[in-house]
Amino acid sequence: MSMSEEELRKLKPDKVVDARGTSCPGPLLAAKRAISEVPVGGILEVLSSDPGTKRDLPIWAKKVGHEFLGVIEEPGYWRIFVRRKK
Amino acid sequence: MNFNKNIGEGNLAEKMCITVMSGSIDRLIGMAVLTSAAVSMDMEVEIFLQLWGVYAFKKDVIKQNMNLSEFNELGEKVASRLKELKIPPWYEMLREAKETGRVKIYACSAAASIWNVKKEDLEFVDEIIGAGEWIEKMSDAKINLFI
Repeated sequence: MSMSEEELRKLKPDKVVDARGTSCPGPLLAAKRAISEVPVGGILEVLSSDPGTKRDLPIWAKKVGHEFLGVIEEPGYWRIFVRRKK
Repeated sequence: MNFNKNIGEGNLAEKMCITVMSGSIDRLIGMAVLTSAAVSMDMEVEIFLQLWGVYAFKKDVIKQNMNLSEFNELGEKVASRLKELKIPPWYEMLREAKETGRVKIYACSAAASIWNVKKEDLEFVDEIIGAGEWIEKMSDAKINLFI
């Protein structure tokens, strides 16, 4: 179950990776690279302007064992939140 | 006879194998995108280059190649869109994937003979191998593709 937008906006991410302007699968690869720089239990926020990313990241998180927290839609891009679990 | 014995035993590897016959950059872009995505999903990727694939990985060809497999009249339009969208060339995408995850690239020994090339003449190539070894590598992969 993902968090509400209000809850998401209160999160303090440990790392924000700005992948806006890169096309799929650029933001996904950026997330994979960045998650190792977040402490276990910490939060990664990915900014992406590619509409595929908000669907890819929940699938990625499930596959590799992290927790997808939710998405906030902003004008022209998405903010996607993932908690590192291992 | 049980053709799916590996699936039955549940021992397929988290691995994607791509057989690359084509040397056309549109297809190579597709290959690089899927390689990058598979690496992101923590999958191992193995790539086997055949005839035109080996040619396209030659160090003196890789950056010069502008060959498309279809819709050639749209080549310039596609090239300018790729540039506008800041999509890197396929070989840069592949380089980044190889630096980030487990990606092995093999060249077919027969194709290497046809082009008279050694491993050192080819970008990214880890080994020159035979088709039998490649069949063995493909046989335990969850995903197998041919381009």
